[in-house]
Amino acid sequence: MIINIDKDICTGCRECAEVCPASAIEGEKGKPQEINYDKCVMCGQCIQKCKSYVSLIDHGVGVYEAKRAERNLPASVKEPLFAAYSNCNLDKVKAALADKDTITVVQCAPAVRVGIAEDFGGELGTVAARKMAAALRKIGFDRVYDTNFEADLTIMEEGTELIKRVTEGGTLPMFTSCCPAWVSYLERNYPELKEHLSTCKSPQQMGSIFKTYGAEIDQFDPAKMFVVSVMPCTCKEFECNREEMNSSGYQDVDVAITTRELAYLIKDMDIDFNALPDEDFDQPLGLYSGAGTIFGVTGGVMEAAIRTGYELITGKPIPAVDVSAVRGSDIFRTATLQVGDIELKVGIVTGLKNVAPVLEALKAGKLDLHFIEVMTCPVGCVSGGGQPKLLLDSERDAAYQARTKGTYAHDAELPIRKSHENPAIKKIYDEYLLEPNGEKSHHLLHTKYCTGENNFKK
Amino acid sequence: MNNNLSSFVVACNDQCTGCRACEVACFTVHNQKDNKVAHTVGTVEIPVTPRLYLTRLDESCLPVQCKQCEDAPCLNSCSAKAIARVDGVVYVNEDLCIGCKNCMMACPFGAMEMLPIAKKGQAVKQIGSDEIRKSAYKCDLCIGLEGGPACVSTCPHDVLKLVNLEEDGKEKKIKAAVALTLTGNL
Repeated sequence: MIINIDKDICTGCRECAEVCPASAIEGEKGKPQEINYDKCVMCGQCIQKCKSYVSLIDHGVGVYEAKRAERNLPASVKEPLFAAYSNCNLDKVKAALADKDTITVVQCAPAVRVGIAEDFGGELGTVAARKMAAALRKIGFDRVYDTNFEADLTIMEEGTELIKRVTEGGTLPMFTSCCPAWVSYLERNYPELKEHLSTCKSPQQMGSIFKTYGAEIDQFDPAKMFVVSVMPCTCKEFECNREEMNSSGYQDVDVAITTRELAYLIKDMDIDFNALPDEDFDQPLGLYSGAGTIFGVTGGVMEAAIRTGYELITGKPIPAVDVSAVRGSDIFRTATLQVGDIELKVGIVTGLKNVAPVLEALKAGKLDLHFIEVMTCPVGCVSGGGQPKLLLDSERDAAYQARTKGTYAHDAELPIRKSHENPAIKKIYDEYLLEPNGEKSHHLLHTKYCTGENNFKK
Repeated sequence: MNNNLSSFVVACNDQCTGCRACEVACFTVHNQKDNKVAHTVGTVEIPVTPRLYLTRLDESCLPVQCKQCEDAPCLNSCSAKAIARVDGVVYVNEDLCIGCKNCMMACPFGAMEMLPIAKKGQAVKQIGSDEIRKSAYKCDLCIGLEGGPACVSTCPHDVLKLVNLEEDGKEKKIKAAVALTLTGNL
């Protein structure tokens, strides 16, 4: 299982149940808790909250080492272990890196770059995009690509899809589909609303281009490629293993590890993260815009979509690149934006437990919006279940604010801030995909919901 | 009136869930300087060594820690003179502690534990062997920490309180005196 609670260590405090957005943690107070996997959306917020650690006094000498091995963690890990944990996939990554015949490709989600430095003693929210690129290269990945590129690709596809739905009459409102925990929640609890989800795959899964376009440009044999994602999210491992995520002809993304696991790997390889030089991601699939990087914060997908959508519809530059109307941390916020002749009504939900009232309003016909962004974690992916875990809950707000600020600062410092202006995006459409929502895109970059094992019967 | 009684931290309500956030916070703030512990779990390279201890009863739980006794049995019994009273706090100098455990035997509250010492993120070894040095650990009220003891500020249910009995006593006496004036018997 992706998310676990260790019965030997859990004190039954149920603090995790307080933060679980799916009411999936069950058990009596004071007794070890159990996860109801029919409900769990694998967001990992329980892992972030849990403080019940493996204790020398209560559990004894040697238990730490035994638990570390049981959880498949590298023996170099020295940090405290807690009752709630996610399974570790580093053995698969290390095996691929060690195999000379395997071509290893890595991609990193937007939020990882404002989190990873914290696990090396950095200040909260330190932007370490280029140090991270250097670390991944030093680890030995053959191609150091970036999910931020695919975030730009997502905007091209999702923006085009939205414009089509609004102007040609499709199912509205359209929901974002970047967050796998949110998608899983909808599939389990509101399958009747599946047509409202954008058909776009998440940025991670648009990684289907690595074993197709990426293989083509480097003349790699896709059968020998192994794609690793580094994600702030525990649910991405579930997403990459969904049975339909194989449009390249292979499993599109072979394994997803968390920001914390990347820190384990860097330490395991004796790499001094803080001493690394700044390096660039590999081209072309590592080139990204500021719009791609703000996917990591609540409202970011919306803002990125507006930056591009506005210009695609009006043909004019957007008056202000910073779309402050959609920023913030309110759990459900709405805005109306004039985009050419269209009065675009948008909504943003942050924190999965806040989505049910919105879905109920939609079912009751009381929701007048075109486009809604939903993110499961408290302030978007920067607060994801796979991000560096805070020792003190009193620092939680400061950490979320710093990571959000770092994300916007990174956006502001990038030379290109709109997805459609990313030259690598123009190039992939020119020479491979041809047009957004075109035939090739539909095959590689779009998906269907509630199919196969995700067709839950209510 | 000032009798200079030491303050101490105690559990003061029955809301403790047993989450251990107090223990983790205690460990964190005591290891930021010498052991490179920063904001996140990933910066920790040593075993968690708390100075208060979650204690479970049949139907409830609560953390137990030092009362900063006025005639402290741990201090009196220390064979290495490693325990002293510093600004009202009974304090263990871990560099002097020889791990004789007299203090553990003497403490009536189980507030002393014997745990490994670490410096610069590494276990400290004994001079003559590879065995890890241990020291007595106890609550030091987070001496010098802005905002007071970390366990008190961290507890999500306000279970822990820094008690100053002299001030508490004054307040109680005033309440009692007010109540007496209302009885009409004065």
